[in-house]
Amino acid sequence: MWLPILGLLAGLALGLVVSVQVPLSYVKYTAIAILASVDTILGGIRAQCEHRFDLWVFLSGFVVNTVFAAALTALGDLLGLDIYLGAVIAFSIRIFNNIGFIRRDLLGLVWRDRAPEAEEPG
Amino acid sequence: MIRHLRGTLARAGIHRLQLALTAVALVVGFIFAVQSRTEQSIETGLQVSSGRLGEVAYRYRAEDDRQAAMRAEITDLRRAIASEEQRAAAEQRVAATLADELRTLRADAGLTALRGPGVAVTISDSRRPLRPGEDPNLVLIHYSDVRAVVNMLWAAGAEAIAVNDERIITTTGISCVGTTILCNTRRMAPPYRIVAIGDPEGLTAAVQSRTGILAQLRIFEFPVTVILGTDLVVPAYNGGFVHRYATPAGTGG
Repeated sequence: MWLPILGLLAGLALGLVVSVQVPLSYVKYTAIAILASVDTILGGIRAQCEHRFDLWVFLSGFVVNTVFAAALTALGDLLGLDIYLGAVIAFSIRIFNNIGFIRRDLLGLVWRDRAPEAEEPG
Repeated sequence: MIRHLRGTLARAGIHRLQLALTAVALVVGFIFAVQSRTEQSIETGLQVSSGRLGEVAYRYRAEDDRQAAMRAEITDLRRAIASEEQRAAAEQRVAATLADELRTLRADAGLTALRGPGVAVTISDSRRPLRPGEDPNLVLIHYSDVRAVVNMLWAAGAEAIAVNDERIITTTGISCVGTTILCNTRRMAPPYRIVAIGDPEGLTAAVQSRTGILAQLRIFEFPVTVILGTDLVVPAYNGGFVHRYATPAGTGG
């Protein structure tokens, strides 16, 4: 589990060090793309916790979700409609869901005897 | 090679799914850092979040348009100022012409002191002792003598004349009051100094003519001096103008 976190920190450090700037007109799209990728990563972690992780589902999900979220935002801009709000809400709900599942899985990992009861909502 | 590496990693407890997660996390971390930095620079630069960039752009364009309109207005105003200035200059020329004319008229009316070349004629009562039985009038300068000198100077082309610093103007009369002469409203006593501005040679020739008044005065031994001056001063008339009955006829000159 420590390797992905290390990767995240390394990426953050790299992004802070390298002087790359997102073009102003794409800032909105990259923000949505980040949200989508965070969702995908959490989904991957959850799948790993539940021992049903599939590399290709994960990678394709990461790419497709990210690109599609950005494309949806672009489409909204094209129509003058705030479609990206829908994407934000959907991804936020999924992120909370995934975090909830990961939390329960981790709790089940620590207290194995309580794992079957971990079905209560929230 | 790859299989060997994978085996090594697997022995170390690292699976390929973890590697994939790491790679993705690396990418996400990188994008996140770049994005947040960009957002930071937008917020410090524009004091708005990136979500409101569209609004900012709209306002920027509106301000740009307004600025363009203002620039056009400035150009228009500058042009208007230039034309107004030209008009003012034209008016100033008119005013200057009027002022010039006024100055000329004032000089003509005798309201300004004038200077220039001319002659100064001084005449005084005769110092000849009166013989018994002789009329004292014979040794006194009369108003008619002064008037004759003035008239002669006018006739010779004098442009301005003053008698004892009293300017001769259009309404000036020279008359006698007892033993003194009245010119304008001032009494005068001899000697009489008559200053005329004009062509010095012409004026001198006129007053010195053999049949002129000065020749007659000299015969009666009156002291007469004629001095040519290159820079004589005729003072301004400082009396009033009274028009109690006369009014302008309207048709002008």
